[in-house]
Amino acid sequence: MQEAIRESAVQAVGLRKLVLYREAVVSEAGSRPLVPAQQASVAAVIRNPWRGTDPSTDLSAVSRRIAPVLARLMTERLLEALGGVDAVEAFGKGAIVGTAGEIEHGGALIHTPYFGNLMREFLDGESIICFADARAGAGEPLVVPLWHKSAAATRSHYQTVTARVPDGPRPDEIVVVAAASTGPRPHARIGDRLTDPHVTSNNVEVVLS
Amino acid sequence: MNIRKIVTVVEELLEEGGRPVSPSARVAVVAAVIENPWAGQGFVEDLAPGIDANASDLGALLAPAVLDALGDKAEAYGKAAIVGLDGEIEHGSALIHTLKFGDHFRNAANATTLLPAVEKRGPAGVVFDIPLKHITDATIRSHHQTVEVRIADAPHPGEIVIALAAAAQGRPQQRLAALSTEQ
Repeated sequence: MQEAIRESAVQAVGLRKLVLYREAVVSEAGSRPLVPAQQASVAAVIRNPWRGTDPSTDLSAVSRRIAPVLARLMTERLLEALGGVDAVEAFGKGAIVGTAGEIEHGGALIHTPYFGNLMREFLDGESIICFADARAGAGEPLVVPLWHKSAAATRSHYQTVTARVPDGPRPDEIVVVAAASTGPRPHARIGDRLTDPHVTSNNVEVVLS
Repeated sequence: MNIRKIVTVVEELLEEGGRPVSPSARVAVVAAVIENPWAGQGFVEDLAPGIDANASDLGALLAPAVLDALGDKAEAYGKAAIVGLDGEIEHGSALIHTLKFGDHFRNAANATTLLPAVEKRGPAGVVFDIPLKHITDATIRSHHQTVEVRIADAPHPGEIVIALAAAAQGRPQQRLAALSTEQ
């Protein structure tokens, strides 16, 4: 996180704060995982560009202007924290809308191609990006789901990382989160779709009736 | 020393009080989640062997890591020991209130003052504030500040979170008169 943030980008998105959170697993349940992964999230606290507007407001123009700037800035920080695009194996995203805004405002920033397609492109993925969103007060933790960036059903990579900004979002702010991981859960061992037996209510021994 | 994970937090503030902060204000924290060296031993009278076995290694691990995360020269710094519910606060204090721990940070940051600290016992996910003061003059008011940290799944009851914090500057928009003006 050395490089200066472009002033124009800061003004364009109303950026107040960036919070990087990274966890590097060393051991888990007493032993070192075969693949010790690192997870990271980047949270950007921005002014809600639609503060004071009503639900008849068209969100698309502002979303098109702001979301690409966030996608670029936040994925740059993620890649810097995790060691580059080849190191990233799983991704996820999120938004916490301040209490004066609509959940729809958060969705307008993370669920359109102007964020999602670009995040996927910058992290060299193919999967749909899984997400969490909430409307909440400052300091609320958001548990952000991640899955494999090119094979979403890869069960070993189902994981979460918790993002939190102590003093954000204010009521008229939105916290946008981009998150990624360099590998699977520690000690992942619950099989996969390819190895699962075919389970139905007819062939499971104990089914509550 | 049994480390479960290393957590890094970097906060970068670009606006405060409605005005830009330029260059942006940066604060970094690096925390090691470790097994409490005295876990399961009952009341241990002499903590020195556990201190000797761990404190210097923790300082050597965390000091360069937090400066690297900050990516700049530290002007203010602080430390933390957050003890899981089965431990004593004395266990956390033992690991951070020794020159064996703090000197690594002082040397790496060219610092001279004592590190301000938080010691606290709590459950996993407890929020803690690390106080920071200027690295060579603890009376410099502009650099009195705190950074807030939370690790969702730490400390476990038998763990301790040991952290160092560094800031590249004082408070954003700091504008208080110096202590000397009141003396």
